[in-house]
Amino acid sequence: MAKLLVMKDISKSFYGVKALKNVNFDLESGEVHILLGENGAGKSTLIKILSGAYRADSGNIELEGKHIDISRLGPRMAEEIGIATIYQSFHLIPHLTVAENLMLPRFVRDGGMFIHWKAVFQDAKNALDALDFDIDPHAKVKDLSVSKKQMLEIAIALSKNAKILIMDEPTAALSQKEIEILFSTIARIKERGIGIIYISHKIEEIKRIGDRVTVLRDGSAIATVNPKTTSAEELISIMIGKTISSHNRRVVTSAGKTLFEVKGLQNQNFSKPINFEIYEHEILGIAGLVGSGKTELAQAIFGIDRLDSGKISLEGNKIVITSPRSAVMRGIGYLPEDRDACGLCLNMGVKENMSLANLAQLHSLTYSHVHETQSVQSMVDDIAVKTPELSQQVKYLSGGNKQKVILGKWLLANCRLLILDEPTIGIDVGARSEIYELIRNFAGDPGHSVLFISSDIDEILEISNRLLVMSQWQIVAELDPDKSSKNEIMQYSLGTRTRISHD
Amino acid sequence: MTKNNQSSSAGKTGIMRFFGRAMKNQAFSMFIILIAMWIVLAFMSPYFFTVSNIFEITLQTAVVAIIAAGETFITLTGGLDLSVGSTFACSAVLGGLVFQATQNLFLSLATTLLSGLVFGLINGLLITGLKVPPFIATLGMMGIARGFALIFSRGIPIFGLPPTYMWIGQGKLFNLIPIPTVIMVLVFIVAYLLLNYTRFGRFIFAIGSNTEAARLSGIPVAKVTIGIYAICGLLCGIASTIEAGRLGTIQPAGGNGYELLAIGAVVIGGTSTFGGEGSIIATLIGAIIVTTIRNGLNIIGVNAFWQQVVNGMIIIGAVATDQMRRHK
Ligand SMILES: Nc1ncnc2c1ncn2[C@@H]1O[C@H](COP(=O)(O)OP(=O)(O)OP(=O)(O)O)[C@@H](O)[C@H]1O
Ligand SMILES: [Mg+2]
Repeated sequence: MAKLLVMKDISKSFYGVKALKNVNFDLESGEVHILLGENGAGKSTLIKILSGAYRADSGNIELEGKHIDISRLGPRMAEEIGIATIYQSFHLIPHLTVAENLMLPRFVRDGGMFIHWKAVFQDAKNALDALDFDIDPHAKVKDLSVSKKQMLEIAIALSKNAKILIMDEPTAALSQKEIEILFSTIARIKERGIGIIYISHKIEEIKRIGDRVTVLRDGSAIATVNPKTTSAEELISIMIGKTISSHNRRVVTSAGKTLFEVKGLQNQNFSKPINFEIYEHEILGIAGLVGSGKTELAQAIFGIDRLDSGKISLEGNKIVITSPRSAVMRGIGYLPEDRDACGLCLNMGVKENMSLANLAQLHSLTYSHVHETQSVQSMVDDIAVKTPELSQQVKYLSGGNKQKVILGKWLLANCRLLILDEPTIGIDVGARSEIYELIRNFAGDPGHSVLFISSDIDEILEISNRLLVMSQWQIVAELDPDKSSKNEIMQYSLGTRTRISHD
Repeated sequence: MTKNNQSSSAGKTGIMRFFGRAMKNQAFSMFIILIAMWIVLAFMSPYFFTVSNIFEITLQTAVVAIIAAGETFITLTGGLDLSVGSTFACSAVLGGLVFQATQNLFLSLATTLLSGLVFGLINGLLITGLKVPPFIATLGMMGIARGFALIFSRGIPIFGLPPTYMWIGQGKLFNLIPIPTVIMVLVFIVAYLLLNYTRFGRFIFAIGSNTEAARLSGIPVAKVTIGIYAICGLLCGIASTIEAGRLGTIQPAGGNGYELLAIGAVVIGGTSTFGGEGSIIATLIGAIIVTTIRNGLNIIGVNAFWQQVVNGMIIIGAVATDQMRRHK
């Protein structure tokens, strides 16, 4: 029998920059085929060609043995021939109900021109039940959790008879529990003979759900291996073309003076006043599930959400933060979780984005363009942003490189406290350790410290000097990462263990 | 020999690349269109390509161009100002009344500029403070300022402006360059420097590109927004003194439809109505095109009513082609 999908000699360049060079890729039905590669390796480009968002310059595509005309492969044709992409939510209409989103173009009519709403909801319910998806058809999409939205996307794709599901970093915004749900969903749709193309930077996850993994490096497919029998180290070394030394553990710095202190912070979000302090040179981790209040804590400190009460002090002096601007002017930087919506000016250049926070802190009318270019260039080199030129519009960068641009923006600003909310989402394994290094270096400078928020417990354990666990909109534990374990943090996050180690 | 060959072929590809990029640039294609229009007009009227006529065109462009400069700042942030024509009329009327009362030209001009600035400030405060969308805030202001222009002047044009006032609209530098042209060039130089060399300019682009990201980067979004509306109001005031000087009177009904011309100039120049992308030089070219079309239609003998129709169509056409270019 013919393979579900064969892509042959696919090439694509953007304004002379080669993003894909003669890539071969195939997919069997009922298989999860992973794409692995560094930021900017061409993974998203390859699947966008398949989903019709980009047109390949050359190459061949066969679906179930049938030749597909790549010059005509656009989004509509991709949908018709059964190729569906699961986006992280952009596709859904937030103000409509689950049922409306699911049934959208094919509403049951009431004989005449009116929609037969009862039938619409019933059909939606049947479709969701058949998949064993626990989603209320009457719920508004905007009220769904990220993982429910994702399941809905999958349900929509399957209702259109998709044969191939494409998932580009689907777990980036999911909590551990939601990831488990996604994996069991994937297992179930595999049984239906659907082929899945899955992009991820998380090696653990790749080993768990992948049947095959194809590694892309600089636009070429360099190997296809079995992730179950290939070690993590091996996968990484194929991916970046060299072995990386295992992460050096954090440098234990003796606790310096208190740099930043939060006392009795309260607003409508928190179930209990928030108290904590950060010492100079410290990387304070905040662990917790998605929806435990971590992001809201960052937003309260940074002046995005209003405070009802609470005292914030920097180096012993009380400060009042009323807006993000007042936070930035006092040397507090915030890397938001949602990079496209809150972090980047997508149609501005790499340079303009990276210097923005720094410019905001100045007081003069003008600024030195030469200095701007130089400092951005050296930051681009330091964190290895893959971009053809500094003036490249950020919207054309790969996902991981976009994230690096925002990080670079805050590293370039004169900040004393950096609040980083999920800073390594979408960043490849190699670059990740370099970014940890940069964050550690930042914290090492006099008068600096970092508040590091992440739902990835391994990451928190690796980078922080001390960590707080949040659960149910409050801080539930303060732990020493050297004496703690993933298990313990998990238990605090889930609320199955309670103790507050300090008062 | 070989060396020569190499350098010339390198030069050729350089030129090709330059044209490749330039054709993607709306300002450049509009410049070509402008030249084409001039050539056609030159055939229709032998006087068209004389030095004095070129200056005449820049003179007629000045008023629209100066307002369009202010409109460019606003459009770059993703906003819109519909009140420019009314602000233009009302600030001139106020200045004229002050002159009638005091016979002091300086005070009169200061009043005009200041009241333009204040109208803009109010727009900015409504938009940032009360969160009224720019379309609604400036639409309201369009009615209010026009109403006040008519109320204060009792609907009667103001005459009796002094020769120095006329000089602003009719004078010539070195007996050659019209003063309005000089003012226009100065305004565009300052606007260009402001947009491209100051933090303020960078903030304008950032706000237009993604307001939320700009705010979270510590940019004082409200202050910048108020600032650009105030600047736009000020420029309306400046433009109105030029027109008053040219006509020798202040018309309370003046500036009617100038929002159409100004926005037309901005979008013909290719500034995105979604904000974040565009250039002030392109707006200047856009303003010259708008003026040239108006003149051209006059030469061919098309009446003023039809000119409005053409202007409206040009705005829609310009934005539509720009959209197609973007979505290709
Ligand atoms: N529309 C575009 N215009 C110009 N360059 C592009 C465009 N899309 C992608 N690129 C470039 O192509 C290369 C591959 O990008 P792609 O998004 O496929 O990377 P990726 O492997 O998905 O990386 P990441 O892990 O960071 O998401 C990058 O260098 C990127 O800058
Ligand atoms: Mg990608």
